[in-house]
Amino acid sequence: MIRPALLLVFVCCVTLATQWAPVFESLEARGGRSGSPLLLLVGDSRRLFANQFFVMADVYFHSGYYPTIFDARKKEGPSHLDVTEQEGGDTARSGRKVVEDDEKFMGTPRDWIERFGRNFFPTVHTHLQGGSAREIMPWLKLSAEMDPHRVDTYVTTSYWLRTRLDKADEAEQFLREGLRANPDSYDILLELGRVHFYNKKDPRGARNIWELALDKWRRQNLAGENPDPHVQEEILGELVRDDQQSGNLKQLLADLEELDKATPRNAVIEKEIQDVKAKLAH
Amino acid sequence: MNNVLALAGVVIKELYRRKDFYVLFIMTALITMVLGSVKFFNDDRIVRYLKDACLLLIWISSLVIAVTTTARQLPAERESRTIFPLLAKPVSRAQLIAGKFLGCWLACGLALVVFYFFFGAITASREHAWPLGIYFQALWLHWICLGIVVALVLLGSVVFTAPSSNATICFIIVIGIMFCGGHLNGVAVHMGGSSGTILYAIYYSIPHLEWYDVRDFVIHDWGLISWAAWAGATLYGLLYSAFLLGAAWLVFRRKTLTV
Repeated sequence: MIRPALLLVFVCCVTLATQWAPVFESLEARGGRSGSPLLLLVGDSRRLFANQFFVMADVYFHSGYYPTIFDARKKEGPSHLDVTEQEGGDTARSGRKVVEDDEKFMGTPRDWIERFGRNFFPTVHTHLQGGSAREIMPWLKLSAEMDPHRVDTYVTTSYWLRTRLDKADEAEQFLREGLRANPDSYDILLELGRVHFYNKKDPRGARNIWELALDKWRRQNLAGENPDPHVQEEILGELVRDDQQSGNLKQLLADLEELDKATPRNAVIEKEIQDVKAKLAH
Repeated sequence: MNNVLALAGVVIKELYRRKDFYVLFIMTALITMVLGSVKFFNDDRIVRYLKDACLLLIWISSLVIAVTTTARQLPAERESRTIFPLLAKPVSRAQLIAGKFLGCWLACGLALVVFYFFFGAITASREHAWPLGIYFQALWLHWICLGIVVALVLLGSVVFTAPSSNATICFIIVIGIMFCGGHLNGVAVHMGGSSGTILYAIYYSIPHLEWYDVRDFVIHDWGLISWAAWAGATLYGLLYSAFLLGAAWLVFRRKTLTV
């Protein structure tokens, strides 16, 4: 009796599998999932993991000095990973630089237990410097694996790769991966152009990429998708820099005028426009 | 003292005869080595994520060893009725508690030495350095922490009937303290009133296991912890372990042992 019952259950399982397999395959294709076992394991919660891994990169950037969910945290705003900062200061052998603490999330200890406990975790605000910044890379890579549509991850990773680790090729490869997952991202194109302009010394290639980025920004603006105006300024700023370097005054004037429209009443840009016009008149 | 050492010796033999330690060690080693084989952006000098993962696995493994080994000591003796000839030796109940504690604690210490040696070797293969000072401090504090955990589980094993429930409750308490223990004062201040006062009392009463987790110092190369703080934490841990053992003995000395 048991054997036929088991056989029946097995037949039911096979029938259900043949019935449901195509449905799940189409669902996966619609969700744009890769076949990575890790992604299959975590499912849609991968976006949460992606954010957490990005935060982990920031924790590593601060060498473990980071607020927990119990600490008062600075509201909103970019993580330090997104912010370009000047090299310098005493990095010594630790690969860290002490920075002025503007957050002071710990405050003064409330009791002796808290005061004593601070001996056992980092209490100094530092940032990784130079090559030590490589330590944040695994978390950024994992963050991108978890959520390939998180554009910030690609841009931030590329920034650190090309400015601190001197890995322009890896930065470009990573950005192109990001571009495949986010073909309309003007942020990634802006950063890709920077790789070509500043690291590969390829201004023509960089210009083409920035123009494509600007085109994508305009299309999204026309479609009413509210693209980030700050990025448009950055793209135009880079185009202006390229014009200044190449000495193409007509193009420089055109780009400056567009930048002026994007950042109205900017005295520096207006003066630059007057200077270029004067040069063209001669 | 001889009785205590003899009992401790039996517990240590049990650790290396059982497969728990080997399974956990092999799993830790395998996961660490798989993670170590991954290359990020063609850079083979990235090491902190590996240290982080390896130390996390060591902490999890050591807690599992400490809790599961200790939780089954007294119930197993009672179930197999070996506790009666043991107490008739004569071994006093205090000696039995002390012997079981010492055995479990030393067994955890031996396991930690193996784990930390593996951690040091893996790290040295990338960093080409052996910062022995901080490794010693981290291992010692970890061991003191496990001493408190072992004493807590021993107390649990004379209070709760089943080893499984004791182990589960102890895991929850230990993990809860490690994650939230140091922040209860802040929560209590925000709560205010009588509930805040009660929470503050709990904050002062619980063993502050979070002090003993100095992984950030090891992972991010912060150098040595203040030796005074290290000694203070050691003293606190030993006193707390003694308190928990005393409590375990107080409960155990009046407990009927019939199954």
